[in-house]
Formats: sequence, C-alpha cells, structure tokens
Amino acid sequence: MIFLTVGTQFPFDRLVKAVDQAAGINGFDDKIVAQIGDTSYCPKNFDATRSVEKAVFNQYFTEANSIISHAGMGTITMALDHRKPLLVMPRLKKYGEVVNNHQLAIAKKFEQLGYLLVAYGAEDVPIKMKQLKSFVPQERQPCTDIVAARISTFLNELSKSRN
Amino acid sequence: MRICLAASAGGHISQLLKLAAGWNGYETFCVTTTGVVRNNLSELGEVYVVGECNRQHPIRVITVLLRCGRIVLKERPDVVISTGAAAGCMLCFLSKMIGAKVIWIDSITNVERISLSGRMVRYIADLFLVQWPELADRYKKVEFVGTVV
Repeated sequence: MIFLTVGTQFPFDRLVKAVDQAAGINGFDDKIVAQIGDTSYCPKNFDATRSVEKAVFNQYFTEANSIISHAGMGTITMALDHRKPLLVMPRLKKYGEVVNNHQLAIAKKFEQLGYLLVAYGAEDVPIKMKQLKSFVPQERQPCTDIVAARISTFLNELSKSRN
Repeated sequence: MRICLAASAGGHISQLLKLAAGWNGYETFCVTTTGVVRNNLSELGEVYVVGECNRQHPIRVITVLLRCGRIVLKERPDVVISTGAAAGCMLCFLSKMIGAKVIWIDSITNVERISLSGRMVRYIADLFLVQWPELADRYKKVEFVGTVV
C-alpha cells in the first residue's frame, strides 16, 4: 500500500493529480490511501480523505510500503524515523503553494544525501513512483540528544541564576 | 520556571517534540496552530491552538497575534522555546516584552538561509540554534551543535 499525504496546512492539487494520473496508467496495481486536506482535485483512481486523526495517520504510515508527500519536514522526519521509502514533490512559491522555496531546498539536499526521491514536477511522478518500489533510503543519524542537552544547560543556568 | 513551547503544526512541532529531554523537569505549556495535533501534545501541559497564518493573510496574522498576546498575559512564561514559524515568532516577541528569555531552533528545512521568522527573532533570542553548520558561520549570535532530525 502507498500512503499519499499532503500535510496538515494547505491543499496540493498538483501532487494529488499527478499521482492519480500515474495510478490510472495500465498495469498499475498498488493500492493508494490518501489524505488530501483542502485539495480541490478529486482523484478517480483511489479513495481520499481530507483529514485524518493522528492515530489513523500513524496507522496508515506504519502499514504503508512507501509514502508519497509534499516536501514537508514533518512527513520527511517521520519517513526517515520509520525507514519508509519516500517520494516528495516540493511545494513551489511560483504556484502559490508556499511562501518561499524552502521545500525545494530541503528536497534537493536530502535527495543528494540519499534519504528520499524527488519529483520536481508532475511529469517526474510516474517514473519516480516506479523507482520508489525498490528505493532503500540511507539511514539518518541525527544528534537530537546534543541539541536537547544544549537547551537543558541553558535552562539550568538560567534557573540557577534566578535562585 | 514556566516554559512556553511554541510551534506550528507539521514539521515545526515534530522537531520541537523531539527535544523534550531539554526541558525535562520544568513546567510547560504549548501553543500550536491546528487542533489536529492536540492529542500528541498532552504531555506538554496546557495546549493552546491559535490557528494558521502567514504573511499572505494579514487579517489572520492579526487574529493569531491577539490570541498569542492573550496567552502570554495569562501564562506569563519565563522562557519561550520555538522552532517557528509565524506564531512561534509572535510568541517570542510578545514574551520578550514581559521579560521572558527566548530560545529559537531554526527548522532544518532552512538550508541556504535562516527562516524569515528566525531572522527577526535572532535580534532578541538568548539562544539561537541552527541545523546546518554553514548557517552558524554566516550569521552572528547563531550556534550549530547538531541536527534535531
């Protein structure tokens, strides 16, 4: 099963339409579950819900063999944590999908590092969906503990100075 | 000390949640932008939902700003910890006005430059962390210690 998600904040017609068209091609036999938010395009080749509870979202995410989404960091992080093959399409400023091109920047950077696949436009989606089937993401090793420790040090010093 | 944890729904809040060890033992409350994520935040104390906004919707910016102002006056945080975006930025400025310390962790998605919110908060931040070493070299008063995700 492929889980398609566009994130919590904005619609993403370009991605939903491209995935729907790819799913309509003869020979496509994967099941797609989709969370499409305020997207106005209605997919014809799979069922879509606008918004799902976090628990249901987590369930879809865990059950899916692969994920397709916008290049939002929430979804990217979750896919890396779960080691799920992920295909992203960056939301672009020129289409009014975001206020800046940060999704494009992070998608490029993470693509270079082997963490995910990127469809830069609708035309890339069918081929990238094929590649996604066999894509194995690089493992990422964040330093969350070090960052948390830096915050903790700051708070403890502040707390001491106030007592 | 009372700590305000402020982050928009999605990537901002998921990066902030990963840092929970950082404020372990302190009293916290949380401000986010959509109710969908509310259940995820129950360990962070009281949760406030202020709604989404960005600079394309000035009216909504004002609504969110007023809501944030009310929260700050009610809760009177000693420290704000935020990963962005717009609502987090507002809470940093509003809390600074009542004497709070500001910790900003710029999102990892800001690869080439610090976020717009971050560039504003940089002037008032007491601790400003970025997730790409190149950014710490480029900006003053900015630290890189590692990545959150």
